[in-house]
Amino acid sequence: MKAGPLLLLFAATAQAAQPDPSLRNFVACPIVRDTASVPCWLAEYDGELYFLTLQTDVSAPVNPPWLGHRVLVEGRRSDKPRICGGIPLEPVRLSVIAEPDASCNQLLPAEDRYNLTFEPPRPPGPSAGRLAFNTLPMPTQPAAIKKEPQRYTLDYYFDGMVNFKTPFQLAPVLDMARAMPATRVEIVGYRSAALLSNGKVLQEQPDLARRRAEQVVELLKGAGLTAPQYQVRWVDASPVPNGTDDYRNRKVEITLQP
Amino acid sequence: MKLRQALIAIPLAASIAWFPSPSPSADYAGTQDRWWGPGETRAWPQRLDYANSQGLVGVLRDGPVLETRGHAFFTSLGPNGRACVTCHQPADGMSLSAATARERWSVTGGRDPLFAAIDGSNCPNLPQEKESSHSLLLGRGLIRVSLPWPPRGEDGKPLDPEFTLEVVRDPTGCNTGAVHGLKSAQPSVSVYRRPRPVANTKYTTHQNFGVLPFIGKNGLPATRDPDNGKPSAMNLMADARAATLKLQAQDAATNHLQMPAALTPAQLGEIVAFEGSLYVAQAASHTAGSLEEAGGPSGLGPDAMRKGEAGVLGNNTTRWVVPMENKWKSLPRTGDVAADARAAARESIQRGHDVYMFRTFWIRDSMHLNSVGLGNPTKRTCSTCHGMHMTGMDTANGWMDIGTTNLPWAKEEPLNPWNSSKPEMPLFKVTCKASVPPHPFLGRVIYTQDPGRALISGRCNDVGTIVMQQLRGLSARAPYFSNGSANTLREVVDFYDRRYAIGYSEQEKQDLVNFLGAL
Repeated sequence: MKAGPLLLLFAATAQAAQPDPSLRNFVACPIVRDTASVPCWLAEYDGELYFLTLQTDVSAPVNPPWLGHRVLVEGRRSDKPRICGGIPLEPVRLSVIAEPDASCNQLLPAEDRYNLTFEPPRPPGPSAGRLAFNTLPMPTQPAAIKKEPQRYTLDYYFDGMVNFKTPFQLAPVLDMARAMPATRVEIVGYRSAALLSNGKVLQEQPDLARRRAEQVVELLKGAGLTAPQYQVRWVDASPVPNGTDDYRNRKVEITLQP
Repeated sequence: MKLRQALIAIPLAASIAWFPSPSPSADYAGTQDRWWGPGETRAWPQRLDYANSQGLVGVLRDGPVLETRGHAFFTSLGPNGRACVTCHQPADGMSLSAATARERWSVTGGRDPLFAAIDGSNCPNLPQEKESSHSLLLGRGLIRVSLPWPPRGEDGKPLDPEFTLEVVRDPTGCNTGAVHGLKSAQPSVSVYRRPRPVANTKYTTHQNFGVLPFIGKNGLPATRDPDNGKPSAMNLMADARAATLKLQAQDAATNHLQMPAALTPAQLGEIVAFEGSLYVAQAASHTAGSLEEAGGPSGLGPDAMRKGEAGVLGNNTTRWVVPMENKWKSLPRTGDVAADARAAARESIQRGHDVYMFRTFWIRDSMHLNSVGLGNPTKRTCSTCHGMHMTGMDTANGWMDIGTTNLPWAKEEPLNPWNSSKPEMPLFKVTCKASVPPHPFLGRVIYTQDPGRALISGRCNDVGTIVMQQLRGLSARAPYFSNGSANTLREVVDFYDRRYAIGYSEQEKQDLVNFLGAL
């Protein structure tokens, strides 16, 4: 699994139609603001401060980014009250940019005026015995063995390969492939581009669609699924981004054929 | 033998009264009886207790008295005279302390099989009769681990690692040597690591929370038990290279005992069954008295380890990592000096527990913690990473980089013209190839004393990641961290305080030390 050049790839200003004005798609340094409870994650864009997410735990639908790295923010400005001083973006997707950036190092102290006005999903220390969100179903054996093809989609962060969230998406595929049992596994890799609010287009690394697809083959075989025939292809040409749902093409589709 | 029998025979609660106060030599009693040598004819009872600097470590065997004669764990299976027990001593919590190694050197004049050239010396080609050739074992309790370079996949074929490896410093001579070095006919890397305890194994090998076909930290396939195909917890050894206790035993038999043949199924069965029967924890404290008396905290002592539920999260206020039930939160004073001192010591352990669970700090730039959804930094506590109920390990796939082997945090003393001591540990330069992303927190070039898991996975992000160890029986097995860089529990706490700029108060440090020492 080899990556291509790792610098962010900007294409020329997009020719696409002007996107929804509430969209906020940008690359910036994340900012941490401490509170009396869990820290908030913020980012500035075009002179405004936006709230990205809270620290919770691994189960969070939106996991915080990293200081030391810029973050690609793909969100929509909401009308909800500010949180930690920032305008909430909902929904929002965050992708950590792989290349380190030491200038992203802003950790703000807690201030009473920015303390949370609600109970966070989990405190900064031990939980009350459960994950903060119920979004990570533990893989189980399929309730019923399917006789028709089964399709799955793995999601990726921008420019990303598999990550800590992948096991929860991939384990059900493995379970079903064994239960079926699948005779053929069809895997299609994709890559995307992202239209930023300033009109620029951010391209995922060339060849990423192939690498994503081939990595999934390695993962499934590595987990012991060696019996089926694998059919692998990829679509490396990213569609024209629209700034609205560009994340949808950061994916690998898997079809299990009985 | 008399001391051991006495320790076993005296009921623990009663034994507290005659405990000697800590002294510089108390961490190793120095009697022949503490040492269980290969091939001895001895009876391993259901309970062994041995003195250490903090009190007593208890080794509970969940099974009948075991005759060691002829048992595979206690039998020299290779030409170097070692057995499993050589490096897994009950007095050392089924690990091996540096103090014990020094004692064996003293008792045997360096002829104990513990000092076998293959890995009980800094390098096999050094003059073995010299104490200096064994300085890492004697000083830090380190055993040489030789791993092939490049790493091998499960099929035995070389992997294409994501990084290049250069030797920057080679004080043992092994990594640059013509026979054992990186450029030898069979290129290999020598790293130096502490033996891990072979006890409480139901926790280290559980099949519960977090054990999935794919590794929860990076999505890659987990290792599997070849006997049944099930994914493993990947919590054995410093680099998780052995999926099961059987594979670990075979690895040790081949590489540490130099056994020419494979262990037989019967031998493997004996070893794994014995390891699975042992529960280790500190049983008594010089200052706090018995840690397992009725009515006390339910999470202390070896029997608590036997009873505990394996493979569940304890980073919560329902199960806890170490259940204390606030039993020692506030104890009455009676005016009796000894009793009041004991009450104060117990309250310190409880406070240390509370620091462990609730004292937040910023955890930053730690691979496989900050990269798994918590953000970088994350405001959390000790129990975030050390969260497995009863052991304080990660529940599964427990390798992280906290900087014990990676610069800039690893223990390194800047050289100067006035210091005659020289660095003891090797130093490697790791360069992540241009074809892969740089390490997210350390960049493309990393200096490390031990690349850790990366020597198995070949992955840049794994450089310096080490599987965290269980926190039980700590008082019996100094020094700490995989490279033995902390001589005391205080040094462990100081490391964290420095690494994460925690700003512990002196009281918090002492309470944490007392808590850890009571585990």
